[in-house]
Amino acid sequence: MSTQAQNRYKADLREIRFLLFEQFKLGSLLGQAPFDSWGTDEVNMVLDQAYKFVCDVLGPLNQSGDREGCRLENGQVHEPSGFKGAWDALYEAQYKTIATDPAHGGQGAPHMLQVITEEMITGANTAFSMYPGLAYGAAEVIQQFGTAAQKDRYLHAMMFGKYGGTMCLTEPHAGSDVGSSRSVAKKIGDGKYKITGTKIFISAGDHTMAENIVHLVLARVEGAPAGTKGLSLFIVPKFRVNDDGTVGARNDVNVGSIEHKMGINGSATCVLNFGENDDCIGELVGTTENMGMSQMFLLMNGARISVGVQGVAVASFAYLNALEYAKDRKQGAPMTSWKDPTVPRVAIIEHADVRRMLLEMKSKVEGIRALVMKLACHQDNVRFYRGKDDEKVAYHQGQVDLLVPLVKAYGSDQAFRVCELAIQTYGGAGYIKDYPVEQAARDAKVFSIYEGTNHIQAMDLVGRKLGQHGGKNLQAFVSDVATFVAQNDKHPVLGAAIKELGGAQEALAGMAMRLLMWFQTGRIALVPLAANRFLEMMSETAVAWLLLDGARIAVDALAALPAGEESARERAFYEGKKHAALFFARNVLPNVKKSAEILALEDQSPLDMPTDGFATV
Amino acid sequence: MKILVPLKRVADPDNANKVKIPASGATIETTGLEWKPNPFDEYALEAALRLTEDGKAPKVRAGEVVVVTFGPKETETTLRAALATGADRAIRVDAADDKLDGHLVARALKALVEREKPDLVLMGKQAVDGDSNQVGQILAEQLDYPMATFAATMKEEAGGLLVGREVDGGVITLRVKFPAVVTVDLRIVAPTSVYSMKTAPAFKYNDGVRFAALPAIMAAKKKPLAEVKLADLAADQGLRVTYHGFQAPPARKAGIKVKDVTDLVNRLKNEAKAL
Repeated sequence: MSTQAQNRYKADLREIRFLLFEQFKLGSLLGQAPFDSWGTDEVNMVLDQAYKFVCDVLGPLNQSGDREGCRLENGQVHEPSGFKGAWDALYEAQYKTIATDPAHGGQGAPHMLQVITEEMITGANTAFSMYPGLAYGAAEVIQQFGTAAQKDRYLHAMMFGKYGGTMCLTEPHAGSDVGSSRSVAKKIGDGKYKITGTKIFISAGDHTMAENIVHLVLARVEGAPAGTKGLSLFIVPKFRVNDDGTVGARNDVNVGSIEHKMGINGSATCVLNFGENDDCIGELVGTTENMGMSQMFLLMNGARISVGVQGVAVASFAYLNALEYAKDRKQGAPMTSWKDPTVPRVAIIEHADVRRMLLEMKSKVEGIRALVMKLACHQDNVRFYRGKDDEKVAYHQGQVDLLVPLVKAYGSDQAFRVCELAIQTYGGAGYIKDYPVEQAARDAKVFSIYEGTNHIQAMDLVGRKLGQHGGKNLQAFVSDVATFVAQNDKHPVLGAAIKELGGAQEALAGMAMRLLMWFQTGRIALVPLAANRFLEMMSETAVAWLLLDGARIAVDALAALPAGEESARERAFYEGKKHAALFFARNVLPNVKKSAEILALEDQSPLDMPTDGFATV
Repeated sequence: MKILVPLKRVADPDNANKVKIPASGATIETTGLEWKPNPFDEYALEAALRLTEDGKAPKVRAGEVVVVTFGPKETETTLRAALATGADRAIRVDAADDKLDGHLVARALKALVEREKPDLVLMGKQAVDGDSNQVGQILAEQLDYPMATFAATMKEEAGGLLVGREVDGGVITLRVKFPAVVTVDLRIVAPTSVYSMKTAPAFKYNDGVRFAALPAIMAAKKKPLAEVKLADLAADQGLRVTYHGFQAPPARKAGIKVKDVTDLVNRLKNEAKAL
């Protein structure tokens, strides 16, 4: 293998264009407020140019960044070689602000396009994407909740790469349990506070790519209530910012250490010490104390969607690389003459089990991408109908809220499984560092952990989202699926699969009622045992629905294609959409009913189990 | 300085295996191919942009860079991408891909040059599909302009260019007076390859071609893109090259083991007819 930097990232632009234009009808939103400056040509050009950009600039640094990692020297973290150039190029190209309000210098693009450019950035180099990702998320919080002065001082710099940014929640004893945070803020007047405390696992916590880093720190103002209700959010820059906007003296924020991780090794994960010398000055985000959690939730909601996008991105990377390898690697004879040592060896894609793995990967990658796209489509409709139709805004926002935990948890869980299948497709070569899929698996594992573990997502779904607006969001979701089933269950090609979807939708609705019953009859202990499985049921139902909807469009398109070699490629593409949906409906979707049966048993053996019974060691 | 940059779209060279020849062998199947600008033409555009600026940010164009391509409506995608990258204006000469050859393109370009009157025609040394490497040379001949091919470096002087050409065994430096035709090689996009008279001698560009920034992509639609009929540029649309058929290279046959040297010599002599 050459040691020279090589891009391994690839994207299936035909599939992406199918989702945008054929399935999710992006064209119907373009050219109208708030997307007036966007047309089909612009979208297509951005897809081409963004793809070229990530392949040329970010992809070649993916493996080298993983090998080199980050280092801490004299209190300063150094990111891997080449990242600084990539950072500058990314902000010069301005892809991070593609969907940002033009009032803040962005291009106001639809989220449907943004999730694709983000997928490309992340897929080409996940570790690198963490730095601009966190900077952007932190900037959005200031945009939403900051005072006019704070926006003036920080916003533009953070949106355009002059400053980086972080979100500082986790502490050594406060991980998923954010409310037990011990960082303290002491008021010193003029909206300023002295911050003391230690934060851990801070992604992009320090680097040399930007001239300053703005940390958003959750801390408790002295005397504030215990738990999450007493947390406030503070802007704590690495370097203090003078009134004229220039960067001033160093703030009392110090990197204690950096973690040595399984994956995303190019991303600096820092322990940050605030106020070791009692001189860490921060300012409250906005003007009201104890609003920290709700403010941070804006960032976390966006970050959770981003993690789902990371899942699609890395899964797609692993799948497309495995596919290329399977077409190239020759091994074994065809099944029909497997005992004959003289027949020519075939590419491994000719083997049934390799095809099974590839189709499972394809259906999952395209399924979770469709799920992400559905969420983004609802976000765009919220923007489109805002001020025009409150009822539609409420419906679309409800679906966004409902889908966030699905996109984050199912997207990240399946990403890791797709990477595992990709390694298996390569065989021994997949386990070797010369090939790119082992890194994909290592990078992808963290997706199910950070931004709220996937169990936290599942509890968010069953504990908060199902009951939101009196259960209306869930009802709308279930009824959307039911409508699709009713309209299509006699489809000549997909009918049987769509009937299976109908069964899954009923099982899902039934399970939601059972969860409600557990809440009402004081059997809450069962809820966390069922939550992950319920999230998976709902995700599999949603993914099957979206894949079958895509297949319906593909079947119509196939009928309209002219015969002959000229349309061979298009025919293969649509056949691929059809078979991926059928595979998922036949091999994965039946899990939904099965899961409902399992959960109906109300097994609570994990709770009945004595702790000492797990092992005698 | 006004520069005309001819661009050609080519089937994505990274996916060359997708190029298919139908059973009839009458043509090359082009539907469904991913198209990309010919890389050498992209280098020519980058060089043209560098020649018309001072290296400083924000980039301000001094002069005009006009891009032109020959082809059907879809080739406007290639032109829009060039406009997003920094070109000022684009021209599409409406033509069918299979009704063109190098000589006809050169004749039509001659008419366009006479109309546009650029100081310089800057183009890729060849397109990576046909690899003909002749349009620039024919064009210079037709125009009776000075020419430098395979340019690896360019330095602007008063009224001309100092061009470093890559040749076997070294670099030849030529001085060409405007108006001229220059074709570029891949090293023209190295950090210190191109200097306008305004660019500081110590300035270094990023290696390679620049990327279109998002705001420029959005603005590209508003830049002028004119359509010209091929007939307006070339009354005679006759082709010097006609294609009689296409076939994929024959698949490699498996080798054989020979018994001994005599067998080898026999086979070389009687079967391969190599001796």
